[in-house]
Amino acid sequence: MFIIAMLYRSSRVRPQPEPGWPWRPSLGLLLVLLLPVQTPAGADQASDNCQRCHGMATLGYRDPLTRKIIDLHIDAAAFAASDHGEMACVDCHDRDYRSYPHSLTLADEHLDCVGCHRDDPEPRGSEFKRIDEEFLRSVHAQPAPADDRASKLPLDCHDCHNPHSFRAARPGDDIAAIVSNNNAVCLSCHLDIADPLSEPHAWLPNRDRHWQAVRCIDCHAPATDHRSHDVLAAEDGNRDCVNCHSRDATLLNQLYSYRSQTDLAEQGFVAKAVYNEAYIVGMSRSPTIDAIGLGVIALMLLGIAAHAYGRYRVYRKGGDDHA
Amino acid sequence: MHKLYLYSVWVRVWHWTNALLFLILIFTGLSMHFAGGALLLPFQTAVPVHNAAGIALTISWIAFIVGNLVSDNKRFYRIPLHGLIGAVVSQARWYMIGIFRREPHPFHPSADDKMNMLQKLTYLGVMLGLMPVLVISGWAFLFSVYLPETLFGLGSVWLVAMIHLAVAWMLVLFLITHLYMITTGDTPTSNIRSMLTGWHRETDASAPTASETQS
Repeated sequence: MFIIAMLYRSSRVRPQPEPGWPWRPSLGLLLVLLLPVQTPAGADQASDNCQRCHGMATLGYRDPLTRKIIDLHIDAAAFAASDHGEMACVDCHDRDYRSYPHSLTLADEHLDCVGCHRDDPEPRGSEFKRIDEEFLRSVHAQPAPADDRASKLPLDCHDCHNPHSFRAARPGDDIAAIVSNNNAVCLSCHLDIADPLSEPHAWLPNRDRHWQAVRCIDCHAPATDHRSHDVLAAEDGNRDCVNCHSRDATLLNQLYSYRSQTDLAEQGFVAKAVYNEAYIVGMSRSPTIDAIGLGVIALMLLGIAAHAYGRYRVYRKGGDDHA
Repeated sequence: MHKLYLYSVWVRVWHWTNALLFLILIFTGLSMHFAGGALLLPFQTAVPVHNAAGIALTISWIAFIVGNLVSDNKRFYRIPLHGLIGAVVSQARWYMIGIFRREPHPFHPSADDKMNMLQKLTYLGVMLGLMPVLVISGWAFLFSVYLPETLFGLGSVWLVAMIHLAVAWMLVLFLITHLYMITTGDTPTSNIRSMLTGWHRETDASAPTASETQS
């Protein structure tokens, strides 16, 4: 039943994680059904058999270690619409799940995005290897602090990317929905951030507008020419406005090009030219050019005023309007 | 009264269309550039208006080029190398000194030459130099997805933005200067009247004898 893959279409197409993936893969494997038939038609049949139980919204169990309820329901509609929707359950979950209840020894399948996708045709194979390297550097891959017993660290791919509903964002998708879905993943763990009175983002001007327009990771990962999985510690997040709004163009390029690409696919060439969400407030702001422009114009206006005054004097003196 | 028909209908329609687009683009551009400022349009309104006006300006620019190529209006933009510097110096001197001494205009329009050398150089610089850069950088903004990530080691979007910004400032400067310079005709309003009616009128004593010529 587990179909593990994290899609990352390209550096310009950002993944669209699904919110609310509440269970770790190792815990989720206990009750997964499997029929051993491997042909395509048989695989469909096997998936149907899996869904006979896992299609039930109430299917779950209590984890004996954590005492938490583990949700084992797989939403058939969400799965069909996901990037893995064409796959059969057994394509990933190929252990012997014929017996019921499934054996606890089946639980740890060690499935992860990179494990499946590292051998994808290039350039995707290399992208997943890069993602793996980035993720291992990220704060999410580090062990939990010894004094933080509630921490879920270290995370793995599926803590953010639900393989049963994950659908990578595509050009043409609504940008607001992409941003909202992305940020919902972060906020599903970082509950305190959603608090309107939360401190960490109090410095951010137009905080809510930012949250509607940009993803958390746009500031909380290094600015690169692709969407990095190297999630930074909170104190290392980008706090420099000009990184997005003007000068240092890496992040600007990333945001702008993606939005431009999305608008183009969504609206077509002509409509894109008129209606687009790509322009970022202040992206053309350059204090130097603005100062030069305004300065030259001010001098010109002064010059014009002096010139016009001189002409007026001549006109008054001469009594005609030649000057 | 010396009277010449110098501005044909299409030139005047193009001119005033271009002028309107300039004003719209400057106002909406400022509203985007200094978003949230007093007396400016809301950002979300300014963006589509600016884009639509930018497309119209592109069409207007192409119309100007094609119109000149297929009509004889291009004759007004010929720049003879012989005497070029003398004409520029003479015209500049008049603007800076002669106009205050009530000296006559050094240049008098004729059926084949309606603009002084400074006007020609300025308009050619604007229409063949600045405008293409402005239009191309504007379109590059919208379709930056087709640009490389970097140009000359700089982020391409930022580079495009800075070029667009710098050229836009130059054209604002041009517009201000242009608005003032048109008052230096035979009378302060004679040039703007010419662009409205098509007829250039001149009462300068040194001008050719009164005649009516339609070009």
